[in-house]
Amino acid sequence: MSEVTTITEPGAAIDAQGSLERWIQSRAEPELLASRRREGWADWLAEPMPTRRMEEWRYTDISGLDPEAYSPVSTTGDRARSKEDLPGPVREVLDSDRKRSAVFIQHNGTVEHVRVDPDLAERGVVYAPIDEIAGSHPEILERFLFRSDVAQSERKLWALHTAMLSGGYVLYVPKNVALPHPVHALRYVDEAGGLVSSHSLIIAESGAEITCIDEYLSPDLDAESLSLNGVEIFGAENAVVRYLALQHYGRGVKHFSMQHANTGRDSTLNVFNVTLGADLARCDVSAHLLGPGSESEMLALWFGDRDQRFDHHTLQNHAAPHARSDLLFKGALAGQSHSVFRGLIRVAEGAQLTDAYQTNRNLLLSDKAKAVALPNLEIEADDVRCSHGATVGQVDETQLFYLMSRGLSRPEAERLLVLGFFDEVLSRVPLEGTRERIREAIELKIGLSR
Amino acid sequence: MPDNETVTDLGLDEYKYDFVTDEKPLFKAEKGLSEELVRQISAHKDEPEWMLEFRLKALETFYSKPMPNWGGDLSTLNLDEIYFYLKPQDHMERSWDDVPENIKQTFERLGIPEAERKILAGVGAQFESEMVYHSLKKEWEEQGIIFESIEDGLRKYPELFREHFATIVPPQDNKYAALNSAVWSGGSFVCIPAGVKVEIPLQAYFRVNAEQMGQFERTLIICEEGSQAHYIEGCTAPVYTTESFHSGVIEIVVKKNARFRYTTIQNWSNNMYNLVTQRAMVHENANMEWVDGNLGSKLTMKYPSCYLVGERAHGEILSIAYAGDGQHQDTGGKVVHAAPNTTSQIVSKSISKGTGRSTYRGLCKVYDGAINSKSNVECDALLLNDTSRTDTYPYIEIDENQSSIGHEASVSKVGEEQLFYLMSRGLSEEQAMTMVVRGFIEPIAKELPLEYAIELNRLIELEMEGSVG
Repeated sequence: MSEVTTITEPGAAIDAQGSLERWIQSRAEPELLASRRREGWADWLAEPMPTRRMEEWRYTDISGLDPEAYSPVSTTGDRARSKEDLPGPVREVLDSDRKRSAVFIQHNGTVEHVRVDPDLAERGVVYAPIDEIAGSHPEILERFLFRSDVAQSERKLWALHTAMLSGGYVLYVPKNVALPHPVHALRYVDEAGGLVSSHSLIIAESGAEITCIDEYLSPDLDAESLSLNGVEIFGAENAVVRYLALQHYGRGVKHFSMQHANTGRDSTLNVFNVTLGADLARCDVSAHLLGPGSESEMLALWFGDRDQRFDHHTLQNHAAPHARSDLLFKGALAGQSHSVFRGLIRVAEGAQLTDAYQTNRNLLLSDKAKAVALPNLEIEADDVRCSHGATVGQVDETQLFYLMSRGLSRPEAERLLVLGFFDEVLSRVPLEGTRERIREAIELKIGLSR
Repeated sequence: MPDNETVTDLGLDEYKYDFVTDEKPLFKAEKGLSEELVRQISAHKDEPEWMLEFRLKALETFYSKPMPNWGGDLSTLNLDEIYFYLKPQDHMERSWDDVPENIKQTFERLGIPEAERKILAGVGAQFESEMVYHSLKKEWEEQGIIFESIEDGLRKYPELFREHFATIVPPQDNKYAALNSAVWSGGSFVCIPAGVKVEIPLQAYFRVNAEQMGQFERTLIICEEGSQAHYIEGCTAPVYTTESFHSGVIEIVVKKNARFRYTTIQNWSNNMYNLVTQRAMVHENANMEWVDGNLGSKLTMKYPSCYLVGERAHGEILSIAYAGDGQHQDTGGKVVHAAPNTTSQIVSKSISKGTGRSTYRGLCKVYDGAINSKSNVECDALLLNDTSRTDTYPYIEIDENQSSIGHEASVSKVGEEQLFYLMSRGLSEEQAMTMVVRGFIEPIAKELPLEYAIELNRLIELEMEGSVG
C-alpha cells in the first residue's frame, strides 16, 4: 500500500455544523457535492429519529444510533499501484476467473482502482468515482444524484448518508449499448469504528442493457462500524438493468442499504439482494414503476446465524398502468438470528392492468431463531391482479430422514436442504457466473456457521 | 363488463333503517368525558366500590395512552361531543308486553320480534345503554345457563364476575379498551355451565338511538369445561347528521373441551365510528370461532382475536367486510399461539365499492414453545370501481421453528368472463353482478344461521341495486 495521507482528522467529530464544514472543506470537493452534503446535514437535524412507534421501524430499534460514535473512514490520496496493494479478500474475488466489463474497488474511503473495458469507454460508457464525475460530468449528478422518491421512514438515514458520503461510483450507459459482462464493484472496510457511506448511481439510457454487482466485504471488526449505502437506478425506455447486492461483511458492522430503482416505459429491472454478513443489516428496496409497460423483479436470499438481525423492507410502487412486478424473498435462520420481511405492493389510482405478486418464505433452522413477515397490499385501482403470500416453516423431517439414510450427517443434510430452498431464487439469475458467485458466498457462509 | 361509469351507483346511499324513535330517556349525562361522569355512571348503577376504582383507573389509562397512529382516520372524532351515558328505563323488563311502545316499534322495523318468535331464544335487546328487554327460555334456566345484562351479572354473580372481568381485555390493552372500561354500560353476561350444550343460538340485538350517543357495551362470556354454545349479536342504527361512536369490549373464556361461536353482523349507519375489542381466551382442546360481518359504519376498527393458551386449542376467524361510498372497514383478526399443537385459520373476504376502502389487518403470532402450531390465513378482496381501495396488512411473528404458518391474499375485480357466462345464460348484468358478489361471500354466509344469511343476502341485493347501467 502506498503511503497513507489521511485527509480526515482521525476521529473527527461530526457533531456540529462547524466540524462538518471543516470536514467538507478538507475533502476539497466540487461545490455540487458539498452543497448536497449541507442539505443532507440539515435534513438529518430536522428529521425525527425513527422509533419503534413508527410502523416501518417496529421491529428494529435504532433510536440509540449516534453518528458521533463513529469516525468517517479515511480517504488516502493515492490509488493502489498494483494488485499487491489490494487487501487479500479483494484479490481473491478478483482472481476468480470471471469476465467483467468494468471493475471498481473501494477500500474504506479510498477508491483504489477503476477500470472500464476501453471499447465500452469509447462507446460512451462512464464508470467513475462520484467526486470525479462531479468534475467531469456534473450534468449527470445534477440530474440523477439523490433524486429518488425516498419514503418518510427512510429519510433520516438517507440524510445522514447524503451528508457523510464517502465514495461510490456512477455508471452511465448510453443509448442502445449493451454491456457484454457484469460491472463489478467491490467495497472493503477494515477500519474498526468507522462510518462508510457509499453510493451507487446507475443510469441506463434507452435500450441499454447492464448487469451490475455491488459486493460488500470486511473482516470481523472489533469496534462497531456503520455502513450507510445508497443505490439509485434509473432505467430509461426499453432499458434492461440487472442489479445484485452481495453483502458479506464480517461481524461488528451495522449496515443500512437504501435502494431505489426507477423504471421507464417498457424497461426491465431485476434487483437481487443477498444478505449474509453484518450484525444488523437492513435493506430498504424500492422499485418505482414509473413507465407504463415496465417490469420489475425483486429477489433476495438471506442466511442468518448467531445473533444476526436482518431486516428487509420492500416497495413495489405501481405508479403507471400495464406494469408488472414480482418479488420472491427467501430467508433461512439458524442460531438466535432474527429476520423481518415487510413488503408493500402499492397500486396508485389509475395504474390499471397492474400485475403484482409478492412471496416471502422463511425457514427456521433452530428453536431460537425468529422470523417476522408482513406482506402488505395497498390498492387503489380496480383492474388489477395482485396477490401475496408468506410462510414460515421448518426443514422437512422426511427429506432430512431420506438424506441421512443415504449416509449424510444431520448438518450436511440440513445444509443441502437449505441450498435446495435457495435454489428457487438462484435459478432465476440468468448469468451463470453471477449465480456461481452467489452460490459460493452462501456455501462459505453456511459452511462456516457450523 | 360495462365501463366503470355504470357501476358507480351501488350505494349504501339510501339507508334502509333511516328512522328515529321519539325517545324519552330518564337520565342523560352531559356531553363529554370526565371523572365526575364516571362517578355518576357508577353511582347510577349502584356498583361496588372496586368497580368504581376500576373505572377511574381505566380513565387515567385512557388519558395517558396516545391515539393510535395506524388504522383509520380518527381525526374527525370529537369525544367532547358525545354522550357517554344514557339510561332509558330504570328497571329490567321481563316480558315483551311491558316493553314501551316506541321502543317496540323500532325493534319491529328491524325484525326483532320475528327473531324472537322464530328462534325462541333469549333476547337480550339493548336499547340505548341498558338491557331493556331480556327473556330467557325456561329450560335454559333449568340447565343453569346464565344470560343476563352485564349489570345484573355483576349484581347477581359478583364472584364469578370479578374472577373473569377485564382479565382477557385489560384496560391497558389499548386506548379504546381503556375508554370502554371507564364508561361501560350495557352488554351481556353469559355463563354456560360445564357440559351443557345450547342448541339454539343466544341472541342479543341492540341498537344505538340517541344522536351522538356513544355506546360502550361490555360483554363477558364464560364457557365452562365441555360446554357448547353459539352467541349472535347484530346491530343497526338510524342515520344521523353528526358522528356517532361505538366502542365495545367483548371478553370470552372458552375452557377445556368447550366450543363457542360468536357471530356479529354489524350494520351501523354510515356516520358511526366503531372501535371494538373482541378477544377470546381458548384453553386446552377448546374451540373458538368468530364470524364477523361488517357492513355499516363510517369507520370500523375491529380485529376479533383468539389467544390459544391450552394445548390443541383451535381458533377460527371468518370475516366479511363491505365498504361502500365513504366507508372504511379496517377489520381482520388475530391469532396468538401460546401452547403446543394449537391450530388456527383466518378467512377474510372484503368488497370495496365506490369510494369505499376495506383493509385487512391481522396478526399471527407463534410464541417460542408452541411447537407444531399451524396457522393459515387467506384474504380475498373484490374491487368494484376504479375509485375503490383495498389494503392488506398481515403481521406474521414466528418465534418457534417447529410450526407451519401460511398467509395468502389476492385482489381482483369481478371477472368479465364470469359476467359474460352468466349473461349468456339470460341474466341481466345486474343480476349477474349480484350473483358473483354473493358467490364471493358464500363461504361466510353459509356459516350464519338461516335468518342472518337471508338478511345478509338481502342486504347485498339492496347494495347492488342500480349498480349496473
